[in-house]
Amino acid sequence: MDANLVVEGLKFMLLGMGTVFLFLIVMIVSMNIMSTIIHKFFPEPKSAISSTGNQAKDNKKIIAAITAAITHHRQG
Amino acid sequence: MKNIILKFLVLFVFLGFTGLVANENASTVELSAHKEESYKTQPMSTMVMGFLQSTGISALINPDPNELNSHGKTMSDFHKTGGRVIMILITFLLFYLAIKKGFEPLLLLPIAFGGLLANIPVANMAGPDGFLGIIYHMGLSNQLFPILIFMGVGAMTDFGPLLSNPKTALLGGAAQFGIFGTLVGAVALSQYTNIFDFTLQQSSAISIIGGADGPTSIFIATKLAPELLGAIAVASYSYMAMVPIIQPPIMKALTTDAERRIRMTTLRHVSRLEKLVFPVMVLVLAILVLPESTPLIGAFMFGNFLKESGVVERLSDTMQNALINIVTIFLGLAVGSKLSADQFLVPDTLAILALGIIAFSVGTASGVIMAKIMNMFPGHKINPLIGSAGVSAVPMAARVSNKVGMEYDRTNMLLMHAMGPNVAGVIGSAVAAGMLISFFK
Repeated sequence: MDANLVVEGLKFMLLGMGTVFLFLIVMIVSMNIMSTIIHKFFPEPKSAISSTGNQAKDNKKIIAAITAAITHHRQG
Repeated sequence: MKNIILKFLVLFVFLGFTGLVANENASTVELSAHKEESYKTQPMSTMVMGFLQSTGISALINPDPNELNSHGKTMSDFHKTGGRVIMILITFLLFYLAIKKGFEPLLLLPIAFGGLLANIPVANMAGPDGFLGIIYHMGLSNQLFPILIFMGVGAMTDFGPLLSNPKTALLGGAAQFGIFGTLVGAVALSQYTNIFDFTLQQSSAISIIGGADGPTSIFIATKLAPELLGAIAVASYSYMAMVPIIQPPIMKALTTDAERRIRMTTLRHVSRLEKLVFPVMVLVLAILVLPESTPLIGAFMFGNFLKESGVVERLSDTMQNALINIVTIFLGLAVGSKLSADQFLVPDTLAILALGIIAFSVGTASGVIMAKIMNMFPGHKINPLIGSAGVSAVPMAARVSNKVGMEYDRTNMLLMHAMGPNVAGVIGSAVAAGMLISFFK
């Protein structure tokens, strides 16, 4: 009876860690499958990327304008 | 000024006596007419004595021998007198830690104040009819509050980093070794030494502190060992607050300089649909593998699903703010009500605090070691510093990984990489909790 508890604890550990890892491994596998499926059949529209491109262009214009204004101000 | 006070005092005493005489006269006249049974007139001296006996000072010096604790059991004299004073001082220390040192103040302050209120003699607020007792029975003894907190945490969690690097979830699993390793240690020590004597249930409830997840700890403690709830909750939350102190030495001891400088590949973009499918997918897995863990995982994924759906902004906002704040207040007070001297000032508490920090350190260490093991296999290298984030103290543990990483390479941002194992740690400890519950079915 006395030695039982530690053995019980060890059993808990084996089973517990086993389940945690099993669960996470299954989760990882299903995550990968899900991602593949989603990227294949439901790709995201690329509008987001092009809009950031526009923004970058706008930023460049703004920077150019500001630099011009500064040089003008300094000359003046 | 003194004069005025003195005059008032004299007036008060005079009025008191005249009132007393008048009262006695009146009562003799009207006694036959009214037959007041509930209130008996008493001479002033008895009333003053009665008042003096009902003060807190007298209750702390001469405790009522018939006073019962919140479970209706008798208490030792120490727990009614000096113990209460010690506990009140401990709550003052907790105030200091929360306010001055910034240790998880959102929870530590309500807990500490609840503890202060619970140790007040005579008022018996932690008893079944006191307001702390009512809050405790409303949501803590039936595990409602931890579940609601999990909903809010779910609504605040972003699974993006985990989805873009799924294998880091294993780190969150490895960190759960802190729970089970400590479980074995606690049982072995109870068995072979006389330091303490915990049952299997109690050992399980204590070792869950290693998951570094407050709500989960409370959930398990109320189920398996409600008598230890106060100590377990306090240990769990104080170690969560001390993550930035406890973890870095362990992380540095287990890694080499080169390992700490490992740069990880940038995370890919995760589509909205992936984030939306993920919570449902994990819940389905939990249903299939371990239904016992679904109360925690279900609530967590519910919160996350509402957030990612993007169409119920109001509900997700309520969960992230109003709901979790309200529940935090109640949870803190209810946990604090278990800080009464008769339950907290026992040798077991020290053992719980000691086992808790061991569990926490082992969890941190096994996360780091797991990352090193994973680096032995081909594939993208993992910086072992993010392994420590496998304990589920979100987002504190991930921030610590980032900070330690930056100490060695200022441009190496590990925060988002560490969030992956961090949220996986939450799932991992929920699964571990489900396992522990299922063992005792």
